[in-house]
Amino acid sequence: MKKFSVIAWIAAFAIPLSAGVPAHATHTASPAAARVQAAVPSTETDQTLHAMHDEMERARTRLQLPGVEKPFYFEYRLMDVDVRAVTASFGSLINSSTTRNRFMSVDVRVGDYHLDSSNFISEDGFQGFLGSTGQVGIDHDYNSLRQDLWLATDQAYKQAVTQMSLKQAFLRSLTKPPEIDDFWQAPPTQQIDPRVNPDWTSRNWEEEARKASEVLKNFPQLNGTRVNYYMVYVTYYLMNSEGTTLRTSRSLAAIEAAIDTQADDGMPLHNFYSLYLARPADLPDPETVAKSLAQTGTDLIMLRASPLVPDYTGPVLFDAPAAGSVLAQVLSPSLSGARPPLSMGSSFDAVMERFGGRSEWTGRVGTRVLPANVTLVDDPTLKEFQGKPLLGNYAVDDEGVIAQRVTLVDNGTLRDLLMSRRPGPDFQKSNGHARSANLSDTVPLASNLFFQASGSLDAAGLKKKFLDACHDDGHEWCLEVKRMDNPALSSIRQEDFNDFIGSIAGGLSSGERMPLVVYRVYVADGREEMVRGGHIEGLTLRSLRNILGIGSDSDVSTYMQNPAGGFAGTALGAFGSAQGGIPSTITAPSLLLDEIEIRGFHGEPRRLPLVPAPALK
Amino acid sequence: MKTKPMIRTLGVSTVILITAWACVAGDRPPQTATPPVLTAMQEELDRSMAGISKAEPPDYFISYTVADRQYSEVSGSNGALLSSGDSRARWLEVQTRVGTYQLDDTHKLGDRQPSWTSPGTTMALDSDIPVLRREIWRETSRQYRAATEALIKVQTSQQVQVQTAEGNAPDFSREKAHVSIGPRVDITVDRKPWEERVRKYTAAFSNSPAVLNSIATFTALGTNQYQVNTEGTKLAFGQVHYRLELYVQSKAPDGMDINRYANFDWLTPKDAPTDKVVFDRIQTMIAETEALDNAPLVDPYAGPALLTGRAAAVFFHEVFGHRAEGFRQKDINEGQTFTSKVGEQILPEFISIKDDPTEASFRGQMLLGNYAFDDEGVPGENVSLVDHGVLKTFLMSRSPLVTIPESNGHGRRQLGFVPVARQGNLIVSSSRTMTDAQLRQKLIELVKAQGKPFGLLIDDIAGGFTFTGRAQPQAFQVLPLVVYKVFPDGRPDQLVRGVDIVGTPLVSLTKIVATGDTPDIFNGYCGAESGSVPVSAVAPAILISEMEVQKKETSTDKPPILPPPAHDPEGHYPGQNNTAENNSPTKGQQP
Repeated sequence: MKKFSVIAWIAAFAIPLSAGVPAHATHTASPAAARVQAAVPSTETDQTLHAMHDEMERARTRLQLPGVEKPFYFEYRLMDVDVRAVTASFGSLINSSTTRNRFMSVDVRVGDYHLDSSNFISEDGFQGFLGSTGQVGIDHDYNSLRQDLWLATDQAYKQAVTQMSLKQAFLRSLTKPPEIDDFWQAPPTQQIDPRVNPDWTSRNWEEEARKASEVLKNFPQLNGTRVNYYMVYVTYYLMNSEGTTLRTSRSLAAIEAAIDTQADDGMPLHNFYSLYLARPADLPDPETVAKSLAQTGTDLIMLRASPLVPDYTGPVLFDAPAAGSVLAQVLSPSLSGARPPLSMGSSFDAVMERFGGRSEWTGRVGTRVLPANVTLVDDPTLKEFQGKPLLGNYAVDDEGVIAQRVTLVDNGTLRDLLMSRRPGPDFQKSNGHARSANLSDTVPLASNLFFQASGSLDAAGLKKKFLDACHDDGHEWCLEVKRMDNPALSSIRQEDFNDFIGSIAGGLSSGERMPLVVYRVYVADGREEMVRGGHIEGLTLRSLRNILGIGSDSDVSTYMQNPAGGFAGTALGAFGSAQGGIPSTITAPSLLLDEIEIRGFHGEPRRLPLVPAPALK
Repeated sequence: MKTKPMIRTLGVSTVILITAWACVAGDRPPQTATPPVLTAMQEELDRSMAGISKAEPPDYFISYTVADRQYSEVSGSNGALLSSGDSRARWLEVQTRVGTYQLDDTHKLGDRQPSWTSPGTTMALDSDIPVLRREIWRETSRQYRAATEALIKVQTSQQVQVQTAEGNAPDFSREKAHVSIGPRVDITVDRKPWEERVRKYTAAFSNSPAVLNSIATFTALGTNQYQVNTEGTKLAFGQVHYRLELYVQSKAPDGMDINRYANFDWLTPKDAPTDKVVFDRIQTMIAETEALDNAPLVDPYAGPALLTGRAAAVFFHEVFGHRAEGFRQKDINEGQTFTSKVGEQILPEFISIKDDPTEASFRGQMLLGNYAFDDEGVPGENVSLVDHGVLKTFLMSRSPLVTIPESNGHGRRQLGFVPVARQGNLIVSSSRTMTDAQLRQKLIELVKAQGKPFGLLIDDIAGGFTFTGRAQPQAFQVLPLVVYKVFPDGRPDQLVRGVDIVGTPLVSLTKIVATGDTPDIFNGYCGAESGSVPVSAVAPAILISEMEVQKKETSTDKPPILPPPAHDPEGHYPGQNNTAENNSPTKGQQP
């Protein structure tokens, strides 16, 4: 199974559509912290909820180290993950698996909402003997789950105590203690969705993957291919000591394919295809998938035969799908308003910076950050847009806060940021944007992001503006990007992905971006010619100040955010796959940007294989 | 702040790929029709060699290995099922050597650590020969490119760095071709009964308040391996292995981790252990755990020690076996203590040691280190390592020594690693044997003669191929787990914990004064430079005249604050609940 995980975790994520109508999330009346745990009704058959409740009650009342403070906050998270994954290549099966796992993560905090033990990176990590996270039994068995929760809670408490004392020592070394609270006290929420049982047998996924991938045999110039069907059902449990109880169900069905080849001069080239839907039953039949894969193959063969792109600086027109990818990469580090963790070592900050993880919008609320006709909104509450399903939709976030529509930028002025329960310099309260994959730490992330503008141009108008700007700059031709690369999806092997991260990671914070399908457009007659081998430099948030024109079109693009390690919210956060990714959408128009620098390939081309490829049929 | 996630399931599950090479019986299997994958491999090999042998630099050797694995795993913890699934995958390894047998791209450079992982790739499972060939071609191109880059580095390094004697050893041995097409193996596993079993086994562990956590894992592995190379070798053979592992974790009051582990291995489903056998073992493990939790720490000590057969087997594997692995003699980072000692007396003259992968069983029990061909296509050989205490030779892969130019069929690897010389079935025999009673008597005599307050009896040792929980032990490391003080005045033996062996364990082997008369077997997976491979060690009990031990550092992590939920006298445990929705037996129930 294809898996590009930076940290070797398993699960994947998806987004709402449970079998029945989900119960509406409700806030209970009292906003104050509910210290006594709401009882789980005795009619509730789900032993998981009973076990979580009972162990949390026991810990809340009796867990305490002698002479040490008791915890003020407990949180149990569980995730049931059912995965069906099939991989095929050129009509042959590579891998087929069906798995069911349950993961657990326990958080215990000491201190109080103003200053607690969380969000602190010390130099010596506490190594518990079992840890507060892990894999637990899938039977919904009361006894075994209580035993697992007992051990994890014990570990989490001890870690919290150690972390707190290290954190307090560190804070004493600062001239000024932080004024921002560590944790926002959320009103309790209850939402119990019906549970879902996946049915993997209604379609023969192995046969479908074989049939769909076989069409690529018609492209003998391809070196390798991988067609991955990845389907997942998730049930997520959250219970905390404030009275929040969640059981939400969601699913995702994905087809992700990668194909690669080498040009005659040796340059390695690749292309990818991706399709994300809510349910396995929604996936198209193999004949339809084959048609799309054939197009992917055709595009790559054309790219292969294209001339190299020379170095270029000037106006670049990003077609709506490409613009969406660029915006996702460029904007996401700045959308979060949560304060990053405190760190004893400056190396953490340096690493985050290198990956482009520094926010440029902190402290700039109320100022102009984008052109005056642009509005940027993130809305998890929307289920569809222009007839397309929005997979970033959810009702309650992973911390139990009800999802809210957030207008980030209003006519160019920064108004709001995405918040979790971790307050930041600009905002205190969560607006229900805390997201995670496989029980990783929750961070504020985009869900369904909309980049919209007034006074936009229709296709002809935008094209004319493009060619005029090109002509005014004295160019004979200018570049149009129709598609951006996504290395998480276009790499067939983990090492190719690692190579990519290694090669561009240093340049991410300075705006290095990877286009995939680029055309040279001649000013004189509008003629288009595909070119290959370039990468963009210096495309950062700053570049959005040089927007020459915005189209009136809009493209809804679904992609997986990558939460692994420090990637969440960094430029690499936009490169995820169905396995371990967080489903999100971006709706964007075509964008005409000025002063964009594209560098052609200047290195040594890789050798071609000495022996030509054997025939596929 | 949450800790990094820690994987609690046993290492044999999703993290480590397991390969088992236990061939049934020593005769040559009957010839059968050539499987499609082997046809694809041979066709592509011929074509590749024709092309690349004329290139610059030319390939002088190419090999293709495909391991087709069927794997089932059922795992349970604390009375519930953790996971249950099957998988099937094919793994392709391509080796393209450039240069010459004397000096090629794999030559180790100076004191740089070589990369031990062998790039490989997943491969199509079906029988579409053109598609299989395409995948092989793709990997061949990649490997050839990497090999040519490596060769350039090697050639540059040769010019600037000092070469040791073993640096002049050839990089690759010349071996005969071997052809053997055996029947395919297939395993079909009904996981449902095993799901029930792992639930009830781990539920039984939860009966003891001393047990914090328990895991039971059943695995079934069927591997069909195919290999061709340009020297004319063509092999196809299959092996099956079933295993059940039990693991419990506990903590002594001072925070020391107490772990117990047991494994059962079998070749055919009818030889699976019965519930009775497993439950008996569970009871023993619980008793040991509870006793160890309450045992005092050992005091520093130097004096006579008696190792039971099982402990001795692990001891020999770790302390001697790894040093007999030939590639270590080439490595200037290793101690190379043995290289110059061939022909010398290194053990008492009544001890002989051989490594024999051709043995499938020993006195009715299966040996995990049994295989017909090693992972380089060389037939496994019975190698006499120590003859009456004299070191004769080393275990060899196709990486020769100056004095030993050929492989003796011990080149082994876990999928994804480059093969190096590894043990198979390490078998220790003795010509000075005593009964257990006599050995014990002799121990006490030595204790009195040396004027010590007690002697040590070591019943269980963990090493690089026994499960030691989350720490990954180094080769050569031995951790005594079950140790008793044996008193000369007839007092009952006293269990102690926290024993750490001081000094070079190898020296202890020279101080063996006698052995028992009944060999014991340990089957396990040994982790070293070429990954995890199945091995066995067979040894009698040994009596050592002097061994030095000290107190192990305890972890600073205290036991849990609250008692286990099911053993909490203050309640908070609604026992009347229907405790599991799938009606699995509640804790404490045994059939």
